[in-house]
Amino acid sequence: MVMDAPTPPRPLVLLVDDDVRTAQTLARMLREDGYDVDFAADGAAAIGRLTRDPMPDVLVTDMTMPLADGLAVTRYARSRRPNLPVFMITGNPVLVTRAPENITPAFVVLTKPLDYEIFLEQLRAL
Amino acid sequence: MSTFVESRFEELKRYVRLSPDDARLLTDFRALAAPHFERITQEFYERIREHEDAHAVFTGEAQIARLQRSLVRWMDRLLSGTYDEAYFEETANIGRVHVKVGLPQRYMFTAMALIRVALTRIADDEARERAPAIREALTRLIDLELAIMLESYRENIVSRLRRKDELENQALTRSLARSARYVNAVELARVVIVGVDSAGTIRLFNREAEHVSGFERDEVLGTPFAATLLPEEMLEAHGTRVADVAAGRTKTYEIADGLIRTRAHNVRNVHWHLAFAPGDGDDIVLFAMGKDTTDERRVMERARQHERLAAVGTLAAGLAHEIRNPLNGAQLHILFLERSLKRDKADPELLEAVDVVGDEIKRLARLVTEFLDFARPRPLQLTGVSMHELGKRVTQLLALEASQSNVTLVIDLPLQDIVVMGDRSKLEQVMLNVLQNAIEASKATNGAVTLRIRRKPRHVAIDVEDSGPGIGALDAPIYDAFYSTKPNGTGLGLSIVHRIVTDHHGSIDVESVPGRTCFRITLPIEAPEAQSGRMKAAEAAGRPTEES
Repeated sequence: MVMDAPTPPRPLVLLVDDDVRTAQTLARMLREDGYDVDFAADGAAAIGRLTRDPMPDVLVTDMTMPLADGLAVTRYARSRRPNLPVFMITGNPVLVTRAPENITPAFVVLTKPLDYEIFLEQLRAL
Repeated sequence: MSTFVESRFEELKRYVRLSPDDARLLTDFRALAAPHFERITQEFYERIREHEDAHAVFTGEAQIARLQRSLVRWMDRLLSGTYDEAYFEETANIGRVHVKVGLPQRYMFTAMALIRVALTRIADDEARERAPAIREALTRLIDLELAIMLESYRENIVSRLRRKDELENQALTRSLARSARYVNAVELARVVIVGVDSAGTIRLFNREAEHVSGFERDEVLGTPFAATLLPEEMLEAHGTRVADVAAGRTKTYEIADGLIRTRAHNVRNVHWHLAFAPGDGDDIVLFAMGKDTTDERRVMERARQHERLAAVGTLAAGLAHEIRNPLNGAQLHILFLERSLKRDKADPELLEAVDVVGDEIKRLARLVTEFLDFARPRPLQLTGVSMHELGKRVTQLLALEASQSNVTLVIDLPLQDIVVMGDRSKLEQVMLNVLQNAIEASKATNGAVTLRIRRKPRHVAIDVEDSGPGIGALDAPIYDAFYSTKPNGTGLGLSIVHRIVTDHHGSIDVESVPGRTCFRITLPIEAPEAQSGRMKAAEAAGRPTEES
């Protein structure tokens, strides 16, 4: 129990999406809803960010992106933090569920267009 | 006895000792049994549907309904109590009808066993102490019926043998000029060969002709070629040209989309080639040679259908996924806008406008998802699906829609449930789509829609019949995606139906005339072959795969 902390620390979300305008709006809403957000505009940038601390508490990533896809980002993130919660956002969920290797623990797949309210609920339930 | 010479009926009657006491017992029993006649009849015909040879005698639901009514009449007559000469003459007539439609004799016995069991069970349950006497009377009477009906088969065999003898004798006198080798070749050919003389009479009928038409040669030799084998519609289109060849005015004539009439009163597709070829050895002047193309045509039609759907599927699936990206951006921004407007206590009209856009985006998203379901179906989840449950469920779901359209929705289920190995939710979708079309079609006429489910030997037949104006052209591409005759139709309903039915290794056919359109979906009762078999078939047909 952390009794002496005046305000609980805001969880850090790493948001990865090559659709920059949409991602920034999503980031803005997440900040309004109590999260800190770091942003990466492609898979390689995301992996670069993951080499540095602080490690994010949650990874929210697009599936199809230039340089490295959502699965590659997830694999790298999990190598750094094995139980990191991951949300994969995709227009083609079948592509994700047929991923070659089993990634454990499983990640949450969200189909585009993203239903923000449901997503927020899942995020808060972590 | 008034006549001095005892008739065969009287003789048989005396032999089994069918007495006036029996007649009285049976008349009394009729009151107990009559309320069960309808049920017995339904059970009886459901049993027949399970057997291929017996089922082959049926030509359609209308005929089955007729036969069911006559079985009820027959049971009523069986217990009428008057067993005179006229009664047995009628029995003999029934036997002759069985001979005519080619019902194998063994089914008369087994069928009679079903009825005998049903009636004796009623006697046991309801006639109490009189039951043993009624059972005996029933046994005497029913076996007497059988004996008389069997006479008809004997009559028929005797007359056919006699005819065969005659024909063989005739053939013998003509055969001097005919080489046995040629006869063999004609017999072995996998081609229908019919020889016709100058009077238009069939003189030669090879084995393949027997096989395709279902007639045996002694039934058709000596009968007119056109009337026996060519359906009306073909005579209308080609009759005069056929006569021209028979008369030698034309040497050959080809009918690529021809037909042949079968013994069971059906037609099959035959590619006919007619040749005028008089010889000096026999009377034959015309050879009608034909190839049965029925199955070929069906397979080709289905393959074409598959290709069309596959091509549309690949293209559309790619597009649908792409649409989800801009939709994602739009949905998030509209939500952001909504939140800001609410926080700033904006004009409610502005908020409403934003709401509308949000709803429209959601609708588009749903459309994309549904469309992808069609373009890239998920693999079937096979379980045992009860046709009773499914039929009741879909009619329940559509009850409101039907009543709002002033359409009477009738459900006609078999007494005994049929469990099909299939994907429950997909089969539900199939029935809903077809029924919804039917309801819509019958709306203008305040008509009726019937969902009828029936057992066939290894399949279940699901008929959806409506009283609407009918499908204009039966060769319209009604299963093609985006083909629709309805002002607000997406043109996806029947495409999805077609896809699901063929994935279940079933088939869908339609018959339509103004006032009666019937879609018949036939599904195998047993599980389709292993999933892998289906996947291969899908790949071979060029079905899109997920990577595309």
